[in-house]
Amino acid sequence: MRLPLILAAGALTLGLTATPVLADKLDDIIASGVLRCAVTLDFPPMGSRDDNNEPIGFDVDTCNDLAATLGVTPEIVETPFPDRIPALVSGRADVGVASTSDTLERAKTIGFSIPYFAFNNVVLTREDTGIESYEDLAGKNLGSVAGVFEAIALEEDFDTWEGGSFRTFQSQADVFLALNQGQIDATVVTGTVAASTVNSGNFDGFVIKGEAPFLVDYVSLIALRQEYGLLNYLNLFAHQQVRTGRYEELFEKWVGGGAEAPNLTVPGTYY
Amino acid sequence: MFNINYTFHWNQAFRALPDMLEGALITLQIAVLSMLIGIVVGVLLALAKEARFAPLRWFANTWIEIARNTPALFQVYMIYFGIPAVLQLAASLFGIDFRALGINIFYLDSYWAVLVGIAFNNAGYLAETFRGGLRAVPPTQTRAARSLGFNAVDSFRLIVLPQMFRAVFHPMTNQMVWAILMTSIGIFVGLNTDLTGITQELNARTFRTFEFFALAAAIYYVIAKIVTGGARLIAWRLFRY
Repeated sequence: MRLPLILAAGALTLGLTATPVLADKLDDIIASGVLRCAVTLDFPPMGSRDDNNEPIGFDVDTCNDLAATLGVTPEIVETPFPDRIPALVSGRADVGVASTSDTLERAKTIGFSIPYFAFNNVVLTREDTGIESYEDLAGKNLGSVAGVFEAIALEEDFDTWEGGSFRTFQSQADVFLALNQGQIDATVVTGTVAASTVNSGNFDGFVIKGEAPFLVDYVSLIALRQEYGLLNYLNLFAHQQVRTGRYEELFEKWVGGGAEAPNLTVPGTYY
Repeated sequence: MFNINYTFHWNQAFRALPDMLEGALITLQIAVLSMLIGIVVGVLLALAKEARFAPLRWFANTWIEIARNTPALFQVYMIYFGIPAVLQLAASLFGIDFRALGINIFYLDSYWAVLVGIAFNNAGYLAETFRGGLRAVPPTQTRAARSLGFNAVDSFRLIVLPQMFRAVFHPMTNQMVWAILMTSIGIFVGLNTDLTGITQELNARTFRTFEFFALAAAIYYVIAKIVTGGARLIAWRLFRY
């Protein structure tokens, strides 16, 4: 009678001390065999849909590459810009591949990888507005996507100008619609998106009028802040994309036009 | 589940409270103005719907049917994006390009688009409420007023309308609360100064989604409660027998 008791006690002690290490997000992704990427699909050429309504773009290819290195199946979860964090926190997506600017304010909430792309911002307007450069935006009706890097920078300048208005919309598509119809006269938008929009021919009279004097807009992959295993993997992945030449290849495929892929490092400092 | 994924930072949300309350003021402003317009237009629509002149009836019916049977979001979106597009298209059929001429009369600013849209919606709903209220006032009231020497306008204005408002006051309070909550639709047409617009911008800037949205929901709740409480006080003063 004693022996089973001792055995039971021993088993209990073992059970208590040998608690298995909790699987982290990286383990979960590999175990589940599926990588769910939050991608914004109204932001060409980073993310959009083709004629068959299939997701395409730089971000979609990046997600596919990431899934391939992990040996799992990619799944694109369409996520508008404002919903990127709720998508990660609620567990609808594992990682955000959605051109997310790495601001320090946001880094308090979400984890960023090293940059995987960088944007310059340009002034996008219509031919009839007479706007020729960024300085001409003072006093005009302006708009942008709520809370994105270029919207924050533009609004800061707008506040120092007199007159005009500044409106924010929930998607890039609505900004272009408002610009096309005349509710706004100009917007500041990433150069790649501006070029792709002008070239699409969907909007008559859209023209790019010079660069906006903002800092380079580095964008990162995002994951939950405490998922170090996953974030480390994302860092190495972003690094390897450049090292293997895949970054240049994707840039040529989606942006191209003879432009050089933006440098992802800042001279004179570590990341 | 949230405890594993997310740590709440409430102090960051509370620091933004003054900005959000400023937004709440804009929200309340739009709701009140849209309600005042809605009441006036609603009374007119209710009368038009009972009119003998058929085109008036058609006009009122069309308005009420659209306002009550399509999403409010659709109505606001159409006023902001739809009408300018249709007018531009129509003008271009006649070879006129308003934009080239520098005419921008059709473009309502986001604030006005939301105000007009919600006033349109309010008027449609209130018209039906008022029609019910008018039916609740016995026709003998009008006849009595007329026999005492009131003219047609005065007997409606001084005898029928006050009794109608007494009958429909509580449904009107509902509509007011509905109007406050509907202003949140503004974010889809670029409104970034009302409570929802400011909340969404703070959210996009800091990614503190849950804190800001919870706080915004609480503010909406308090405003709605104040409005219903205030309405009860007004009703007690104005309409007690």
